[in-house]
Amino acid sequence: MELFVQLLANTLQIGAVYVLFALGLTLIFGVMKIVNFAHGAFFTAAALIVTSVVPFATVEFGVPLWAGYLLAAIVAIVVVLCLGALVYGIGFQHVLKDLNGSFILSIGLLLILNGAYLAIYGGAPRTVPQVLPGTVSIFGAALTAQRLALVIVAAVVTGGLYLLIERTRLGLALRAVAMDQEAAMLQGMPFNRVALYGFLIGAALAACAGVLMAPINAVTPVSGDEFLIKAFIIIIIGGLGSVTGAIIGGLFIALIESMGGYFFDPSTATLAMFILVIAFLLVRPQGILGNVE
Amino acid sequence: MYTTNWLRPLGAAALTLLLAQAGAAQETLKLGISAPLSGAAASWGLGMEWAAEQAAERVNEEGGVTANGKTYMFDIVSYDNKYSATEGARNAQTMLNRDGIDYIAGTIGTAPVRAMQALTERKGVILFTTAWGKSVKGPEFPFTFTQMNTPFEILVPFYNFIKEQHPDLETAVLISPNDATGQELEPVAVETWKSLGVEMLASDWYERGTTEFQPIATKIASLNPDIIDFSAAPPTDVGSILKELDVLGWNGVKVMSAGTSVDALTAVAGEAAEGAYLGASADFSGETATEVQKELNAGAREALGEPLNGITISSYDAIMALRAAIEEADSVDPAKVQAVLSSVRFESSYGPSGFGGEATYDYPQQMLIPVIVTRVENGKAVELTRSNPAELEALIND
Repeated sequence: MELFVQLLANTLQIGAVYVLFALGLTLIFGVMKIVNFAHGAFFTAAALIVTSVVPFATVEFGVPLWAGYLLAAIVAIVVVLCLGALVYGIGFQHVLKDLNGSFILSIGLLLILNGAYLAIYGGAPRTVPQVLPGTVSIFGAALTAQRLALVIVAAVVTGGLYLLIERTRLGLALRAVAMDQEAAMLQGMPFNRVALYGFLIGAALAACAGVLMAPINAVTPVSGDEFLIKAFIIIIIGGLGSVTGAIIGGLFIALIESMGGYFFDPSTATLAMFILVIAFLLVRPQGILGNVE
Repeated sequence: MYTTNWLRPLGAAALTLLLAQAGAAQETLKLGISAPLSGAAASWGLGMEWAAEQAAERVNEEGGVTANGKTYMFDIVSYDNKYSATEGARNAQTMLNRDGIDYIAGTIGTAPVRAMQALTERKGVILFTTAWGKSVKGPEFPFTFTQMNTPFEILVPFYNFIKEQHPDLETAVLISPNDATGQELEPVAVETWKSLGVEMLASDWYERGTTEFQPIATKIASLNPDIIDFSAAPPTDVGSILKELDVLGWNGVKVMSAGTSVDALTAVAGEAAEGAYLGASADFSGETATEVQKELNAGAREALGEPLNGITISSYDAIMALRAAIEEADSVDPAKVQAVLSSVRFESSYGPSGFGGEATYDYPQQMLIPVIVTRVENGKAVELTRSNPAELEALIND
């Protein structure tokens, strides 16, 4: 029993970040109908900024670690939003609803950003001290306080996004544009502005994931790439453009990783994910909750 | 007009001198480095690049290397192989076809090295490597030379020493990266542990680039082995697994056969790294280190923020071997240099060295250096023991 609680706890820990990351990707696809391979670069940017702001604030200004981390989180999210607005203005707004164009643009952007991170930060892994040290036990499952905080914050952010999508005018506009862009525009919705907001929300979600992961894993200029691959698997399984699908898909992939890693090994679990994606693409290409177009 | 008569020969002499100088400046030998300069294993690549630059600087300061009456200066050119075969092949194409490089002074990773060999062996380019795979060595790869100890030199003395320190060890779990390096190391590690009477409870694989290690840590903790051997896993990955194991309360003997960068390891694992045995590290600031190693180590600490280890210092030794071989061959033709490299004697950072390993690889292409066992104590690598391979002993006593 204790073992299954531990595996469940592992699933939630892993899934929390996957969900946040995949939500941004699926939101961008849903609203703009583009694939953004540079999404991982937003995650990486935020995590790298945390690794430089935290030591700077704590060592240079003697700020307590928690305050330094909060400051770093704000700086990271603001910088990523600015970066998001910049790349949207320069590139993505010109390839809306253009899968081929967005594919080429985002791959190029990814290479440029990864190269820039490498030039600025170097290739060596960077670490941040744990803001919440210590271990907690929940029904016999052991997890670090830092991981627990990550799960809680990720759940709050996901809940917030769900409320934003379901209960606000912006959410209504995002849903309307995602369902039928032309009909939404005929109703007076400014598509370009809604697309920009959708893109920025997606970038902010990736930044949140990066900020949360920085004190847990070593950060490198390519950290986001591994999450990007998983995120694509998640949104294919959950359904491209579906917010609920991204949540289900994220937790499902985390469950495979947790159970597969335990009962077999991590390599087998990774292989199982790819086989699952192939199966979905063959049998149900729209994913669990996606729409057939 | 009188002045003009003087100016002409003076101008001609100056021009000749300038041309001669320009000619001399062009006598530069480019030495390639292909190593991971980004990602989890970046600390290995960045250290190797730095040590190579120091070796080149030292050779150049000492007047360069002379062959056939000409003096050559070394110049280091580095490329990021990202620990992948694709990038390794790309690095080889760029170095050989674009940069015209005839000597590769350092490479890391069996998969990228295998990819590079397709080109280097065909074109007769000398390739030094730290790759742990046995498949990159042998008479069919005469231009490849190993610049550090590999499992066939390390594992027996390393595991023997650990078993002597902990005679009650009975069970082990091996976790290996699922690539060419891990796949070639795994059977050797399993067999060696078995020969010491240690039962292998599990031998699992993970993909390089994995970010979440809780599942494998949960599995290992539930098996509760006496030893966990992290095989060829880089320090950042080992640090992540050790951190998770610490949360789950496992506290056995930690073994890193390819254990090197203690700073990278402790940065991730913190105190969970304490007591880990390292097979490829060294304390280059300790009593047993040579003056060269102490100097290089201090410089690396200042430049890179972490000390050198068995992998990173190997490019220095490769360049010293190369200098000796070029001078011995009296040529910069890689075929002539290759012909003498197996028998050349040179001064490595460890002391007198040469190449051997014919009994293991059917070709003398293994650099002979001591096997050093270290352990993480108070966040530093502390040397516990060292042993010289028999061939190295013979070479020293010769």
